[in-house]
Formats: sequence, structure tokens, C-alpha cells
Amino acid sequence: MSATGSRERGRPGSRLAVWLGIALALALLPGFRPGFAQDASVRAQADRTRVDEGGQVVLTIEISAANLGDVAPPDVSGIVDFDIVGGPMSSSRFQWINGRTSATKSFAYVLRPRKIGSLTIPPLGLLVGGKTYRTGSIEVEAIPGGGGSPGQRGMPPAQVQRGGPGQPSGPGQFGGAGRLGPPGRAQTPAEPAPQVTVVADVDTRTAYLGQQITLRVLLDTQTEILNLGMKDTPTFPGFWTEEIKLPENLEMRRVQRGTEVYNEYTLMKRALFPTGSGALTVPAMTYQIQVRRRSQDPIESFFFTPTETITRRTEPITIRVETLPVASRPPDFSGAVGNFTLTVNADRKETRVNDAIGIKVKIAGEGNLNAVSSPPLAELSDFKEYAPKVTSSSSVVGERLRGEKTWDYVLIPLAAGAQTIPPVSFSFFDPRAGQYRTVSSGAIPIQVARAADGSVGTGGTFVSQSDVRQLRKDIHFIKQAGDGLADRSRLFYRAPLFMALLVLPVVANLGVYVFTRRRESLHANARQRRERKARSQARRRLKDARRRLSPSTSRAFYAEVARALTEYVAAKFDAAAAGLTHDRIEELLASRGSADEDRREFHRCLEACDYARFAPTSSDDKEMRRSLHAAEEILVRLERSLSA
Amino acid sequence: MRRRRKALAGLLLLCSVVATRVARASTPRELFEAGNNAYEQERFNDAASSYEKILGYGVSDPRVLYNLANSYFKLGKLGAAILYYERALRLDPSDRDTRDNLDLARGLIRDRVTESEIPYPVKVVRDVLDGLSANLVGAFFLIVYLADGALVGLLLLARGPTRRRVLGYCAATVGLVALAGGVALAYKIEQVTAARAIVMADKVDVLSGPAADNTVLFTVHEGTRLEVRNRRDGWFQVSLPNAMSGWVPIGSVEKV
Repeated sequence: MSATGSRERGRPGSRLAVWLGIALALALLPGFRPGFAQDASVRAQADRTRVDEGGQVVLTIEISAANLGDVAPPDVSGIVDFDIVGGPMSSSRFQWINGRTSATKSFAYVLRPRKIGSLTIPPLGLLVGGKTYRTGSIEVEAIPGGGGSPGQRGMPPAQVQRGGPGQPSGPGQFGGAGRLGPPGRAQTPAEPAPQVTVVADVDTRTAYLGQQITLRVLLDTQTEILNLGMKDTPTFPGFWTEEIKLPENLEMRRVQRGTEVYNEYTLMKRALFPTGSGALTVPAMTYQIQVRRRSQDPIESFFFTPTETITRRTEPITIRVETLPVASRPPDFSGAVGNFTLTVNADRKETRVNDAIGIKVKIAGEGNLNAVSSPPLAELSDFKEYAPKVTSSSSVVGERLRGEKTWDYVLIPLAAGAQTIPPVSFSFFDPRAGQYRTVSSGAIPIQVARAADGSVGTGGTFVSQSDVRQLRKDIHFIKQAGDGLADRSRLFYRAPLFMALLVLPVVANLGVYVFTRRRESLHANARQRRERKARSQARRRLKDARRRLSPSTSRAFYAEVARALTEYVAAKFDAAAAGLTHDRIEELLASRGSADEDRREFHRCLEACDYARFAPTSSDDKEMRRSLHAAEEILVRLERSLSA
Repeated sequence: MRRRRKALAGLLLLCSVVATRVARASTPRELFEAGNNAYEQERFNDAASSYEKILGYGVSDPRVLYNLANSYFKLGKLGAAILYYERALRLDPSDRDTRDNLDLARGLIRDRVTESEIPYPVKVVRDVLDGLSANLVGAFFLIVYLADGALVGLLLLARGPTRRRVLGYCAATVGLVALAGGVALAYKIEQVTAARAIVMADKVDVLSGPAADNTVLFTVHEGTRLEVRNRRDGWFQVSLPNAMSGWVPIGSVEKV
């Protein structure tokens, strides 16, 4: 600020120009900030390079610059060979020499070697005025023997016990000094090192998957704690974490450790649920604690509150997590670990068709219920079921997480009558007993009356129909009737009877065929014979006719001639002579292709015979001879044409 | 003295007969009822052994096979359950329960074998035929066949063109029906005699040849149905409906 003041005075001119110039100058000054450090020098030093096992080394980091603002303590996470048992204790110093100011700030840590041998304090990073600086590394040799007594612990180096207030930093700061209950009582005023320890502890180091592990972080102190905070937000990989709320004002307990009396505060409580099996680690947590420092200077003690900030780190904790047994796992187990109760309630026991009833299924108890997802109410065929409203809550009762999960079902009865909500069962793993347990509710009878708008099924009332739903599948039941058990493995088509019956029609029809052929051939032979005999028979008839060739027997004569002619045709065509009419004879003759003339002649001859037979006058001898001759002639001609 | 001895011997014989009858069921019917009782009391092992005994007597009744398959199903032996459902279906393909249970059991096995798609009319005919027993189809075919034979005989004997024509048409029609019946019977015979086998082991490697040192072509699991195509030295050549084929040891499968 003094620089800006001198510029204002040294530049006459208009007010505006002056202010603009100031603004410009401020803007152009690189990194101008109050408390800006120009050319800071950073130095780390240890008070000794050889230390006994259990002894302590004081590490001092000193930052010098012309102008020092807020300087955060260095990052000491790289120190792995030593435990940080105290610090950082910060001090500041200002000097004014010949008009030049210089400021020096130092942080001191008390380190205890973790092992014997050549140890290294690595380069430490430091942020000063927006720039990073690194210290050099320091070699320290730890030699065995002459372990440091508890009284030596936290012995601060004298040269850093001075200066301004420490800078507790980091997120998750707990309540300020005023909220920290009664001030710690100084036990040993002569001892300047504050006795502060931070310990993390769990209630069990072996657990089942999903079982609650309670983590507590305790602070034991013999001095007054003004402020404290965590360096980083704690993370617990492999665990599902639930915070256990602590009271607004940290409670203090007085504990006796050996001869010493400490004030104990619980800094943190967490319920941890392992989500994987095997060895899981609760990582170390680093606390930065601002404590009241005992000052040798009574004036300082009176007018100021001398403080210092110290860092404490808890040890990592390894927890062995076992998987849940597989062999005895119930089929409906859905991952709940703890100890739970199940209640199922219906909001009423009597309802009507289409009037909704509410079923509340509640699982409550000690353990983490977030993993339980499957709705425990089975599907019901006579109710329409809507997706349940799921509510879950958890609370911590006496360090144990209690979960409560509720499924609110709305069921619409679809059928009247005595219905039942079947028992609901829920399985969980009880880690204390080391076994699965199943709790069940009782069945709830629901009396469903017919719908409010009248009886079900009468005309006009609306009935909402739904498909019959298959709830689950199983095989059909066994066959009951044991009557007539028999070997049914014999197959009909393999029986000899089947073959015999298959062959039977073939054989039978073959027989029939042979029989008919034979009969036909016999018949044909008879016809041939008759045909062959036709002419001789006709000749015989004509001979008989000739014998009656006299006018007195003319009728008999003509009958004989007509018979000779008709029987000839009948024999030739294998037909009955009695039924042969003139037309039929014509037909038959035509069918064998005899000439028209022959047929006409035959016809005329036959007509003449008929005429003579039935005429009242008898014929004379001459005419009869002519008729006989004509008959003989036509027969000869027919014989010729039919045989051709 | 001799009479007393004879009487004693007779009494002893009678006692032993009564004792055996009381001790265990001996007729197929008693065994069937004992098996059913055991099944209802969920003693599925006892039920299965009772049903097995009935089959041991040579009484191969579809109800016994069905109940045995149910017992094996309840015991979790899917392969045996499917085997006996298949055997029951061969004897009585019209039983819906058997078909449903077989479908349910098939749905639980590991392998999913997709069968080739068949056209709708063929599927309808096949479904109808699958519901009929071979004996029924055989009887139907035989009746129609004999009727056709009689018609042909009448046709041979008939005189007169009209009668012959009518008989001819009738014989031809019935002949066609008989032909269809014959085809159906042939299908049923093929179904009943087809060499099929069910995988009984949990997992069976199907090899490229009938020896253990052959390449493993694929793996089938309990309950899968295989077509048996060949047999050689304790090995079956089997194939799946999707034409994958190879050799399995005879002991790992059971023929239907």
C-alpha cells in the first residue's frame, strides 16, 4: 500500500488522469496482491542428523521474503519414514533494517523415525504468494538404542516457539473453539508439548458382507483444543457409508491412561457396510488441531492467546470381510444383512369388488435395507395389483443403523368372495448368528362383497373382465387311476393279423378276378358254339318246314320258316329268340355291318311269313316254295356276310 | 406226525406269502398306488423306484412312464424326466398332460435347439397326427383299406355299366383315403421307430469320431434330444435338428 501512496503524491495533473494512472499501474503490476512475496527463499533444516530409535527430530521450514502474506503450512504427506508427532508450529518475524522490511515465517514439525537406518525427509512443496517452492531433502540417520521416553515426546525446538496464530486448514472443520465444551485442563504446566492423540477404532475387524462396522475416531488431549479440522474429506473405498450424527457440542469424557488423565472427544462416527469381500482397508485420516500453547512469556499469555496447529494421523485399519454362505441361501434372499422384522397390514378386512384396499408390507430392523429391492408380495389372481409405493428410511439408534422399508400396495379386488392375501416371507442374513433367517407374516383373509352398483353378473351392470393370469408354472400332477395297467408298447401294425388283413383284399380280389374271367370265357365259348350251330339249326328248321309244304299245313310251314329265320339271328347274336322284334333284328344285323339289301330282304321274308301265318286264306303250294327258297337264299347271304 | 409236519409247512408258506404281500407291493397295480402315495408325500425317490419296478415287470403303460417322469422332474433329473415323457408320448401321444410337462421340462434345459420352420398346413396336419397313436392310425388305415378291397371286389363282380361306374368311383375315392391313411401310418411308424436319444449326463462333448482322442465339435447338455444315426464300438453317431452331428459315448445318452 505504501507504493500506491507514493505514486499518488509524485504525479501532479488532473484528478481523472491520476486515478486512471493508478488503476493502470495496479493492473499492470504483475501479481499485485496484498502480502505478495517477492523472491522468497525457502529453507528446511533438521535439528540433528542422527537420532536414536524412538527419539525425535525437529524439522523447521523457514520462508523469508520482503513481504509475506498468508503462507499455508507445507504439504508433509510425502514424509513416509517418520511419524509426525507434533506440528506444525508456526512463528513469524518482521525486521526493519535501513528502510527495508523483511519477514520470516517458519513451520516446525516434530518427527519420530519409523525405522532404523538411513532415512530421508523428502523435498517439501510450499505455496508462497501463488508460487511453489520446494525445500531440499534432508538425510537423517536413525540409530538403535536409547529409545525416547514419553516425556521427551513432542519436545519442541526452542527457536520456533514464537509468532502468530497457526493456520488450521482443510475441509470438514468441526466446531470452533467456543463449541468445544469445557476447556482442557492443563495437567503439566511445566511441559510445553501438548499431549494430543487421535485414534481410529472399529467395533469388529471381521465382518460379513453387508454387516455394519462402526468406525469411531477419538481425540485424547490434555490441553485445550481451540479448533480442529480434517485435512481431506475421508473416503472409504469398498464400503457403503452412513454418517452417525454427533451432538452439536462434542461430548467430553475423562479417561485415565496409566497415570495420566485425558479428556476424550469423539470426532467422528461412521457406519460402514462392506460392499466387497476380502481384506478391506479403512484408510488413515489426518487431523489438524489448533491447541493453546503454553507460553513462557506472562505478558504474551495475558494479552494474546498463543496457539499452535498440530497434525495427527490415524492408523489404517484392515478389516477381513467374509462372503455370505452360498449353500444355505434361501431362494428369496435379496441381500439384506442384519436383523429384521416383517409386518403386513391391510387397511381393512372387508371390501367390495372394485373398491381398493391398501396393503402395507413393512420390513424394519437393524441393518442396511437399501439392497432389498424385490417387492415381497406375490402376484394375486383375483386382485389387480398396482406397482407399490416404496418408501425407505434409516436412522441410527445407539450406533447401529436401523432401516425401514415399506411397500404400499393398492389392490383392487376383481372377484367377490372370501379372498386371502397369502403369507409374505422375507429372508435375511443374521451376521450375529452367522446364518440365514426367514420371517413370515400370516395370511390375511379379505372378505370381498359384490360391487356397490349391484350384484355381479346381472344385466346392465358393468363387470371389468381380465385375463386369467398364470402365476407360476409346474408340471401336471401324476395319473391316479391304476386300473388296467398293461404293456402298451406292442404296436398293432407289427402284429401278424395286421399283415394278414393287409394281404387279404389282394388275395380275395385276385380270386374274384380269376373267377369272373373264367365265367366270361365259359360264356363266350357257349355263344361261339351257338353261333356255329346257327346255320345247321336253321337248315334243320327249313327242312321241317319243307315237310309241311302243303296248303293244309301252311300255317305251321310259315311258323317254321319264321322260327328258322329268327332263331338264326338269335343264335348268331347270342340273344333270346323270344324277345326279338323286327326292329331289334334290324339293329343287330346293322351292328355287324350286313348290307341294306340283305336286311330288307330278310325283313320282307319275315313279314311275308307273318302275313301268311295270320292271313285268313291259306297260301298255295307255289308261293310256299318261293318263300322257302327266299328264306334259304337270305340265310345263305347272311351267313356269308356275318361270317366275313 | 407227518400230517402235523405238512400242516406246519403249509402254515409257514401261507405266513411267508402274507408277509411278503404286507411288506411290499407286488402287483403292478399295488406298486402304482404305492408310487402315487410316495409321490403325494413328496418322497419322489421312493415313487420313482416303485414305478421303475412296474416297468421291470414288462408293464410299459404310458401312465407309469408319465408318473415316473414326474418323479424324476421333481428330483431335478431333467434328462430322465424328458426321456420318460418321450417314452410315454410314444405309447400315448394323445395325452395333453405328458405333452405339456415335456414342453415345460424342455424349457428348463440348457441347450436351445431351433427346429426348421415348417409351413402352416403341414404343421396342422403334423400336429393332428402327433396327437394320434400309431395303433389308432393303423386301425383306421386297415379299415379303409379293407373297405376299398371290398369295393374293388364288387366292381369285379358287377355287371352293367351304371353299377360298374358307381362302384368304380366309390373304390377310387376310398382308395385315395386309404392311401392318405397309409401315408399317415408311415409317418407314425417313422415317429415311433425313429432312433432318438436323450442326453443323460450334465454335459457331453460331441466328438468328430468314435474315439476319445477326437476333436470336440460341440457340447450338449442334459435333456437335449439327439437323432441317433449310427452306432459303432460303444459310440453313437448323433445329430441335432440343425444338422450338427458327431459322436458321443453310448453311456452318456439313453435311447427313447
